[in-house]
Amino acid sequence: MSNAIEVKNLTKTFSIKTIGLFKKIQSSKNKNDKIIALNDITFSVKEGEVVGIIGHNGSGKTTLLQTIAGLYTPDSGNITVNGSLAPVLQIGSGFQPELRATENIMIYGMLLGLSKNEIKDKITPIMEYAELEQFSDLKLKHFSSGMQSRLAVSIVFQLNPDILLLDEILAVGDSDFNKKCFETFISLTKKNKTILVSTHSLNLLPLFCDRVLLIDKGKLITISSPDEAVKKFNDLMTSNKN
Amino acid sequence: MVFFPIVNILNKKGLLIEFSILSLKMRYTGTYLGFLWTIIEPLLIFLLLHTVFTGMNIGVKDNFAIYLLSGIVFYHIFTRGTLAGMASLRENIGILKSINIQREFFPVASTLTISILAIIEITILVGLMPIFQFVPSLTMLLIPLPVILLLILILGMSYLLSIIHIYIKDIQTIWSIIVQALLFVSPIFWYISDVSGLLLNIQSINPLGQIIELNHQIIILGQIPPILDWVYTSLYVLAILFLGYALFKKYEKKITEEL
Repeated sequence: MSNAIEVKNLTKTFSIKTIGLFKKIQSSKNKNDKIIALNDITFSVKEGEVVGIIGHNGSGKTTLLQTIAGLYTPDSGNITVNGSLAPVLQIGSGFQPELRATENIMIYGMLLGLSKNEIKDKITPIMEYAELEQFSDLKLKHFSSGMQSRLAVSIVFQLNPDILLLDEILAVGDSDFNKKCFETFISLTKKNKTILVSTHSLNLLPLFCDRVLLIDKGKLITISSPDEAVKKFNDLMTSNKN
Repeated sequence: MVFFPIVNILNKKGLLIEFSILSLKMRYTGTYLGFLWTIIEPLLIFLLLHTVFTGMNIGVKDNFAIYLLSGIVFYHIFTRGTLAGMASLRENIGILKSINIQREFFPVASTLTISILAIIEITILVGLMPIFQFVPSLTMLLIPLPVILLLILILGMSYLLSIIHIYIKDIQTIWSIIVQALLFVSPIFWYISDVSGLLLNIQSINPLGQIIELNHQIIILGQIPPILDWVYTSLYVLAILFLGYALFKKYEKKITEEL
């Protein structure tokens, strides 16, 4: 089985910038401050494999997904992606609040690579899946954040990409929708989709992940079985507390 | 990837059109007069300037109303186009941070939205001519040419301003001042034949002023402008387009993290 994603020696840093002329003068001694978000990370994901990403808040999980998605340019290293890719990052943030739900589905779907006709056919199933049929003509600004997340997840589940990059989508909506979402996610894992998913739901990892990648302070600690990765994560938390 | 404006996003024609139409819709959402503002805004500026200059009675020539109105319409399209183009990346921060799409999509979509508005405004300008008892000549058929040059200029400036706006937010204030100045240094309410010195020198390097003057020759004088004027203005506008595009491509890599 060939690799769907290959990441080699990936390093990504962010500059801390001082905005404002007077602040710049004040802080001129501390210029060129940088945060290392990802530090020399190497791993690969095979076609059809489901890999979880765990780590503390700010450990680099989202940055890793955003860099693989092409949203950030690496400082060094290489990323190879073989297949069509759909990222679901910062869920629902691409929506336009002044547009109706159906118009947002149209734009969001087309931005993710569907044609106008393809997405037109999917509007009803998307609204039904999100359980928001009665709100089709309502502007997004009147949706709660939970409703917006449900809509975003529903759009992505109607797409058919080879590779899915998912950032914290397993805690969307109320408990019923969450359960439905999880069942759909499980069905996707059985359709030979390659999935890279970051989550804080450690107890769910063994249910759908083939392997789990643990990141801490931008460094890859391990990529191993879910149980082993969770154990290392817990050890890390304990040592950090001490 | 080809180093040529627009070419790399031609495969997104459907999305560009859909996005531009919905942007147009969003622009007037929540206002009472909605789409009518497209017409009212330049007409109000026209009425104000027409009242002032005819009242002062300095250098007003035949067909001054159409001269003024056509200048204002072009100025208005340019101002609105460049301001919208400048904000095009920052306004779509949510999309840029969640979906990998060519960054140049946004200034192009913004220019496309303005193109739709430009067609409406120019149509209204032509429609108003009989009210001012103006009889257009056959050269009016050439109007699409200065409009195309204006839209290319807007696209070039949108590339340039949108990328600067990512790194230096002050450009928003600076550009607002510049477009106000352009109202006075472009041949909108004054005639090139009546000015000299600094104002004439500024006009020679003012691409908007050059396009407005081409338009005046076509509409008011009923003349086909000299070929050299066309060549100079076209090359100037294309140079701005490629300069804007080159800077955009050079600095687009860090857009997401700067946002």
